[in-house]
Amino acid sequence: MATSRGAGRVTRATFKTDFVIASVVGFLVLFAGTWARAADKPLSEPDKTCLACHSQERLEKKLANRETLSLHVQGDAFAKSVHGVIGCAGCHADVNLKSHSAKTKKITDVREYSIASTEICRGCHAGKFKQYEGSIHASLVRDGNPVAPVCTDCHSPHAVSPKAVYETMAAVPCKNCHAAIFNAYAASMHGKARSKPGESAAPLCSDCHSAHEVAVASAREGRKTACLGCHAGALGAHQKWLPNAELHFEVISCPACHSPTAKRRVDLRLYNSMAQQDVSEQKGVPKFERRARSADAQGGGLDAIELWNLMKVFNRDGTAGKTTLRGRMEVSSGVEAHQLADKGQALSDCKICHSEGAAAFQSVTVSIAGPDGRPVRYGANKEVLNSVISVDSVSGFYAIGANRIKFLDIVFLLSLFSGIAVPAVHLTAKWVFRRYVNKIEAAKASESATDRSRHSAGGRRGGRGSK
Amino acid sequence: MERIYVHPLPVRLWHWVNAVGFVVMIVTGIQIRYVGLIDMMSFKTAVNLHNWTGFLLIGNFFIWLLFYLFSDKIKAYHPELSPTKHFRASFRQLQYYGYGIFRGDPNPHHVSVYRKFNPMQSMLYQVMMMLIVPIQFYTGILLWDVKRFSAAVDMLGGVRVVDTVHVLIFIFFTSYILIHAYLGTLGHTPAAHFKEMFTGYVEVEEKDG
Repeated sequence: MATSRGAGRVTRATFKTDFVIASVVGFLVLFAGTWARAADKPLSEPDKTCLACHSQERLEKKLANRETLSLHVQGDAFAKSVHGVIGCAGCHADVNLKSHSAKTKKITDVREYSIASTEICRGCHAGKFKQYEGSIHASLVRDGNPVAPVCTDCHSPHAVSPKAVYETMAAVPCKNCHAAIFNAYAASMHGKARSKPGESAAPLCSDCHSAHEVAVASAREGRKTACLGCHAGALGAHQKWLPNAELHFEVISCPACHSPTAKRRVDLRLYNSMAQQDVSEQKGVPKFERRARSADAQGGGLDAIELWNLMKVFNRDGTAGKTTLRGRMEVSSGVEAHQLADKGQALSDCKICHSEGAAAFQSVTVSIAGPDGRPVRYGANKEVLNSVISVDSVSGFYAIGANRIKFLDIVFLLSLFSGIAVPAVHLTAKWVFRRYVNKIEAAKASESATDRSRHSAGGRRGGRGSK
Repeated sequence: MERIYVHPLPVRLWHWVNAVGFVVMIVTGIQIRYVGLIDMMSFKTAVNLHNWTGFLLIGNFFIWLLFYLFSDKIKAYHPELSPTKHFRASFRQLQYYGYGIFRGDPNPHHVSVYRKFNPMQSMLYQVMMMLIVPIQFYTGILLWDVKRFSAAVDMLGGVRVVDTVHVLIFIFFTSYILIHAYLGTLGHTPAAHFKEMFTGYVEVEEKDG
């Protein structure tokens, strides 16, 4: 961010001004009542001087890239804003009336100017800015994403509202970009509860995603920690009816059950057994997608053998420990993750997941944690969950009933068959043999009886003859 | 026929608890594995019954182990140290079950108080009781609470590896228990061996003289 560093070069004088302003703002924030009174104050004379020009609606600047930067400031809104008390110079300390001219300040484009201006915010809000720098938003900005938000995208620069205003369904800035997700949230039990007059306990966006350190919702543990922040007794409540509740909590995202109409899928993540954590893609050297594409010879998603080959490639990297796959059931989209229903509608029938052909196992992705924490996914065939080859490659994921290895089913049927067939054949052989032996013995007996009778008849004849 | 006391009470108790327990484990195991195809009971009931019966069988195993460790009856499990002798005797026994029995030949193995197993039984039961059954218990415990035993599960290669071993042994026991029950009918009367396991007394041919 060369522009940021450039914008960050401040003179000793401006630093002093910033420091004084920061102290003033800090004091005012600490004493909100005092702030409220201060916010009602009329604008200072220097500010009025600025607004003499900048209150003109059509005041704008043509930039080098032919974009237009509006220079209009609504005086009333600014006076009522949180920043009204620090005045124009609070942020625009570099502007000197004597040298202030539309031509002196070179601005290439609006986006660049917005990014550079964040340094002004950092001057007073260092703590919040640090949080922002660790966010997915800042990460996207650094990666050159043209729409990722900077400070002024959420906090209208000349009408900065107090925190409480942002924490309302009507004014929460997140919905400006995430409209579909916000609509899903608004229709969810959280959104409905929050909409009730006087209800502030139900969560709004920032309660789960945090306001400035906005995290990747689909990271390994996802926002589960956020859910459990309010629903602290959830594990205990689940343990009363759900066997292996802790395991379910680890491998299933909350919305997978609590967003009952959502489409679910299994995400198999690369995991290192030695480091006991997900494998991450190194910044600047993306390997996963290239390797997955190369392994996927047919192009229709990885099958069991292709996935096994892909895992072999990752295990050849020379990293300590074995790289394997751990699975997690999650919903397919961010919108679905926010369609949370009342707990009475949550899925609780084991058979929904633990049965052959369960809908949750029809969609499979393989992923690696990207450099910013967001998963980089590649599609896989659902058969990878049932293949005997997967005993090695997908060794870290198995759902009883749903992910049975077909080969073991065949072995089981053969075993059951032999358990019945061996006694049956032996019994039959014994019976047939017994009949055969009996027949021979009967024949022998009858033969010897015939011999005896012949012998006795001959004897009688002989006896009679001798007589 | 002479009656000799071969199966003491603890062994008989262990045997029948094991027999019933293994049937329950196989039935609930099939229900757990094939939920959706088979509907004998709910998945949850099958899981709970499988877990509790598993623990009962583990306890039962120790009844067997302690009894034999502290009894001279352990001689029944002493291996035949001469491989030639052992395999010759095993072959004779196999020949009897595969042929001699059909002809009405006498069983080559003569039961006595300290030699109740024929050579094939003595080899199979040693492997079963000292290897197969403990592995099944161990993998069963790991699968009972994968989260708690995650370190051991990972060390063995993952939950799918542990489950595959557990299922392979389950497959073995399914055919074993059917064949075992059938072999039980091959005494001097079809019910003779079953009676023995209830009374403890085995009827043997009286020795001449």
